[in-house]
Amino acid sequence: MILHVEHPVVEVHDLTVSYERKPVLWGIDLTLPAGSLVGVIGPNGAGKSTLIKAIMDLLPASSGYVRIFDEPIKQVRKRISYVPQRESVDWDFPASVFDVVLMGRYGNLGLFNRPRKADKDAAMQALEKVGMQAFANRQISQLSGGQQQRVFLARALAQNADIYFMDEPFAGVDIATETAIIELLRTMREQGKTVIVVHHDLQSASQYFDWVILLNMRLVASGPTEQVLTQELLEQTYGGKLTVLSKVGDLLRKQEFPVREKRS
Amino acid sequence: MNDFVEFFSFVDANIRYVTLGSVLLAASSAVVGCFTLLRKRALVGDAVAHSVLPGVCLAFILSGTKNPLILLVGAFVTGWLSLVSIDYITARSRIKEDTAIGLVLSVFFGIGILLLTSIQHSGDAAQSGLDKFLFGKAASLVGEDLIVFSAVAIVLLITTILFYKELKLLCFDEVYAKSIGFPVRSLELLLTTLTVFAVVVGIQAVGVVLMAAMLITPAAAARFWTERLGVMLVLAALIGAFSGIAGAFVSYTAPAMPTGPWIVLIVSMIAIISFALAPKRGWVARLLRQRKNKTQILEENLLKLLYQLGEAHEDYFSNRNLESILERRNFPKRQALAGLAKLKRQGYIQRHPDGWSLTIEGEARGKRVVRLHRLWELYLTQYLQLASDHVHEDAETIEHIITPELEKRLMEELNYPALDPHQTRIP
Repeated sequence: MILHVEHPVVEVHDLTVSYERKPVLWGIDLTLPAGSLVGVIGPNGAGKSTLIKAIMDLLPASSGYVRIFDEPIKQVRKRISYVPQRESVDWDFPASVFDVVLMGRYGNLGLFNRPRKADKDAAMQALEKVGMQAFANRQISQLSGGQQQRVFLARALAQNADIYFMDEPFAGVDIATETAIIELLRTMREQGKTVIVVHHDLQSASQYFDWVILLNMRLVASGPTEQVLTQELLEQTYGGKLTVLSKVGDLLRKQEFPVREKRS
Repeated sequence: MNDFVEFFSFVDANIRYVTLGSVLLAASSAVVGCFTLLRKRALVGDAVAHSVLPGVCLAFILSGTKNPLILLVGAFVTGWLSLVSIDYITARSRIKEDTAIGLVLSVFFGIGILLLTSIQHSGDAAQSGLDKFLFGKAASLVGEDLIVFSAVAIVLLITTILFYKELKLLCFDEVYAKSIGFPVRSLELLLTTLTVFAVVVGIQAVGVVLMAAMLITPAAAARFWTERLGVMLVLAALIGAFSGIAGAFVSYTAPAMPTGPWIVLIVSMIAIISFALAPKRGWVARLLRQRKNKTQILEENLLKLLYQLGEAHEDYFSNRNLESILERRNFPKRQALAGLAKLKRQGYIQRHPDGWSLTIEGEARGKRVVRLHRLWELYLTQYLQLASDHVHEDAETIEHIITPELEKRLMEELNYPALDPHQTRIP
């Protein structure tokens, strides 16, 4: 069940990604429609984070290519925004909430330039959108998990991008934050933005997303939520590991084999 | 004392130069060190510092002069090579980073010592003074040396200021930096180069063996005092500068003394003081906080007890003697007396010949603790489904930390209850 769309915002073609030579994603082929809320769903170790990182060219691909807005990623970086996993940074860094949100403007500023007044306005607006304006001067080391997540979200919003990649924004946050975030995502969709979210909770997935990608080392399905979240496809995604596939991956690493033959 | 006056009057031009040089070197390496520290690569700085020695020696052997520029180039090459080796070993083998650092450090330093010894035994008259690179000699920072090293230090400072925003993001969230199109690899290269340069200029004052302390210790000390990166950089620079002056002074008054160990001792003292005394993060502040908590718990427990005695007798303001207090709860006697004396000073209780009684304020505070205790017990049984005989211990601690806002929330969520799980009235 892999549905392709006309004029996609994201086009992934035959993408294979490896960690230390072991392929963790095999030959992903998918397209995503504009203005949708997309959930990337699959069990632990399915390669969900790897997929969005590889799409954004944060990880090298062993094969395949990605086009966003029908352009190579390097040409559209400014229109793309990324919300990494909360745990990926050390929150005991000497910075305030506002400092971190302001980082969302760095991409537009370019080298050497200091943030201007307009950038500070944009950062403050982003903070308001996530309901954290009262925390602007708070040290980031004092934030709760949900607040950290909101700060990361605000940083991404400050970029004013057209497409957002979010890695587990709902992981370990309180209910209030989860509702606030999903409200925000819906508003963003109404403004025509595309939001791609790595998500681990099947229960809420059907309410949150209008497009779902099912992943388990390979692409199981990609399509509108109601067509994809079926018993059969979920069983394919979650049921039984593909033992042969991971054995082959282990072999590739052990023998230091190239994932793709070099073309001469 | 005379030396002190003579030195700090800065009449002697030589002293002025030496001091200025030491300050610049120490401050610039401290500023760069902040980023090295935040990027969690403190040990790498140590490896680079040791790896600079073979470069200095090789440069001398090849050129036969002690021209600071040539020595600097040599130092830079091997310092940089050591970093590349560490990265290469970590990326291309099963060896982890800490092992790679240990390997590179010892191999490079070993070669350095080997070269240095062979130079010293070669009988070349020009070599005298090369050993100052081992432990540093601030007083020799004159003439050409001073100009070259200070220039590099100033370039370092300016570069760090120019790239402040980029380095900050690189240290905080590298992957995000990459996602917004920052040239992360080049920035990393830049920080590496800055680190190597900071080490190269710093060794003149401190020597290769202790250079890592100059890079990391001021940053670590500064981190205790602030939560702002900008302030941290300035503080680290000041701490570095101060120890630089101190080192220059020692080097001036006791020429036989190596400067490095002195500077490092001074900067370490500052770090230890910061560790102990810094507000919030410091060790003393933590102890005080714990002490404050302990006395608060003791006082509130006493007030709670007096209130509970009042409940039992349905009379809150009568005298209670020590026996009846200790009978209810086994406080160590001395602690109980000290706590009671303090509560009296604070006006929560009154002293009578035959005991103590609550004041109106004391009754109110005791009542609040009892209320919070019972509310929390109720909350645990209702929301966490705990058995009612398991909740008392929990409530003993929680009763002391619930804020008025939380109390309000609790009341709302429990729907303004009248009885606790043991069917006792909630006051």
